[in-house]
Amino acid sequence: MDDEPDVDVIVVGGGPAGACAALVAARAGLSTVLLERGPFPGSKNMYGGVVYPRILDRLIPNWWETAPIQRWVTRRSTMVLTDTQALTVDYRTEAWGKPPYNGATAYRPDFDHWLAGHAEAAGAQLVCDTTAVGLLRGASGRIVGVRTDRPGGDLRARVVIACDGVNSFLAKEAGLFEHTDAKHYTLGVKETLALPKEVIDERFGVRGREGVDIEMIGCTSGVNGGGFLYTNLDSVAVGVVLKLPKLAAQQLRPEEIIARMKRHPAIAPLIEGADLKEYSAHLIPEAGLAMMPKMTTDGMLVAGDAAALCLAAGIWLEGVNFAMASGMYAGEAVVEAVRNGDVGVEGLAGYQRRLSETFVLKDHRRLRRAPEIVLSDRVQHLYPAMVAGIAERMFQVDNPAPKPRLRTILKQERKRVGIRRRDLARDGLDGLRTFG
Amino acid sequence: MIAACVKWVAGVPEPGDERFAGISAADQAAVELALRHGASMGDDVVVVTAGPPAAERALREALAAGATRAVRVDLPADATSSDVATALAGVVGDAAFVWCGDYSTDRGSGSVPAFLAAERSARQALGAVAVDLADGATISVTRRLDGGRREVSTVSAPAVVSVEGAVARLRRAGLAGVLAARTAPIEVRRPAVVVPDVAAIVHAYRPRARTLPPPHGSTLDRLRELTDAAAAPAHGETVHLDPADAADRILTALRAWSYLT
Amino acid sequence: MSDEWPQVSFEDRMSTVEFRVHERAHIVVDGAKCADCSTRACVVACPANLFVPTSDGGIVFNYEQCFECGTCYMVCNEEGAISWSYPEGGFGVVFRRT
Repeated sequence: MDDEPDVDVIVVGGGPAGACAALVAARAGLSTVLLERGPFPGSKNMYGGVVYPRILDRLIPNWWETAPIQRWVTRRSTMVLTDTQALTVDYRTEAWGKPPYNGATAYRPDFDHWLAGHAEAAGAQLVCDTTAVGLLRGASGRIVGVRTDRPGGDLRARVVIACDGVNSFLAKEAGLFEHTDAKHYTLGVKETLALPKEVIDERFGVRGREGVDIEMIGCTSGVNGGGFLYTNLDSVAVGVVLKLPKLAAQQLRPEEIIARMKRHPAIAPLIEGADLKEYSAHLIPEAGLAMMPKMTTDGMLVAGDAAALCLAAGIWLEGVNFAMASGMYAGEAVVEAVRNGDVGVEGLAGYQRRLSETFVLKDHRRLRRAPEIVLSDRVQHLYPAMVAGIAERMFQVDNPAPKPRLRTILKQERKRVGIRRRDLARDGLDGLRTFG
Repeated sequence: MIAACVKWVAGVPEPGDERFAGISAADQAAVELALRHGASMGDDVVVVTAGPPAAERALREALAAGATRAVRVDLPADATSSDVATALAGVVGDAAFVWCGDYSTDRGSGSVPAFLAAERSARQALGAVAVDLADGATISVTRRLDGGRREVSTVSAPAVVSVEGAVARLRRAGLAGVLAARTAPIEVRRPAVVVPDVAAIVHAYRPRARTLPPPHGSTLDRLRELTDAAAAPAHGETVHLDPADAADRILTALRAWSYLT
Repeated sequence: MSDEWPQVSFEDRMSTVEFRVHERAHIVVDGAKCADCSTRACVVACPANLFVPTSDGGIVFNYEQCFECGTCYMVCNEEGAISWSYPEGGFGVVFRRT
């Protein structure tokens, strides 16, 4: 068997993780092939709307001057909805609208294509229209390359970096996932709706390149999950994230759940008259630390969604930054390993170390219980009604009756919705421990 | 030498977007046939395009699939068909056969192959729906005629053949080919002709308005007149005969009126 | 909430998405297993509505307009009834504004 590598590194998947991994490896002078199964990087990718690119400061200085972003998020809202009520916490700041910025909305086919372009410029060989269908193993069982679906499609490398997305067939084949469970995944479904820029500016109270990101809870027709709505330059994206087992166990289809959310009195006026421009769907690895695979095996690392590095912690919904960072750290660890001549698990240990020392795993450790709390039945089905009820009674003027005490409202609303005091106290404490 | 000519179109339906740029299915079929033809003749296959630098991606795809060499004639995307043909002819001058697609993804008039054949004084077989490479030196080309009929022509070199997209599917390039094609040299030629300003010399034909008399009679009458329904010979007579004679009479009448032969 | 809303048809909805269809189906469904399945989770969960129950208790599916999300095999409770792999390189869904 010929184990002589064709190249130093194969990166599978041209998304943000793969592009950053290839960028780092190629810049360090390693011969790098970046495989993309779509016709161009980003063509298979879809997300819930906001990218936080600050991690790119190290890789692409002044990235904001060239990144194909739609709008800079200067307004961030969290909405708690019931069928007829909405309580919104809305924050806006001028600071996020200027360099170095914070979050941005972008079309992934634009953003990922741009980012992979940087990897190519650094010397990585981008090969599109090519699906990696399996792993090649050497005599020792070590991973020595990938099999692609092209004729003569075997490609050998010292190291494979699998950034092949949420379904990562490569990580599964390598045995990095002990098991996969539907309860760890959510389905994201989204509509991109066309609206003139002036209309968006007016409805959302923004100007120029300023944009809005709204996260919602209580708008998913009883299926555990959440909703989102954000502004692009001349379109708005509106969608839902649905916990798979809950979606499967009821009768409403995903597009019907979006349609119901769009009819909510707090949402409908924002998107009135908008034409459907594109409908899309994607899975999200939602469970964080609870579902993460082993990050390395002999000859292979896994990064991005393939490594379940997606932070779905209710008020924080991030993924692209985790993908970019993990890809970057995977690239750095591979450069180190190839130089030291050890691409086994030991030699690649720098990857796990980097993940552990940075936000990538620190955030996930701190918020390890968050996905579970946010998607729990009480948070999903009971608390929105309680919170909205409290707000309604606080602000309702029931003269001649005097204003009730907040404590009284709280107690009555808790009882009305049917939450036991013990559960409320425990959830409050859990929430404080996790988010506090 | 066997040649294939392809047209690169940037961004259908989003103009200028290189992610959605490419060549038509017909051009891909032309590349595939050129590769098969070259292989059967043991001859070199050159792939040519007239277009901007971005068009080199199509050439690299052809190289990856097995073309021997690739040439790009540096022309703007909006050059006229005759200028493109002149430029291409300068490259494929001594090719035995030149394969083209019969439409591009933008204008799609399929006129370049005809111009190219004229430019080279070569035979032309345009709009092929099936091709038999036979012994390679003489090929057989099936073309559409009216009424679903087909014409099969035997074509020998030098010839320009344009094909529809369904004639062949471009083979999937091997991985080694794709990697090698990334850095393969592509010859770039400047066109010999000066490209004239199209807008300045081309005027769209616009027929003059003319006055027609108002319609006469009822709509039904006019319709009858147009469809000849009114002028149709009035067939029909009433006769009283025995059944056997009546049958003979009916047959005779139908023959006389050309309903039976 | 009212039960009616101005909606685009599902066909129109899917027509907003570009799919480059390969002749090989990348979804494979084991009809025998589907016939025994009582939950039919794929029918409600697939965002592209690719799975349709038939009157004789089976499931018909198409693969042409697949988002390649993986929901179907994830929610399927019959081990291996839906097997799924990526379509050939260059084929399948092509997003633009996602």
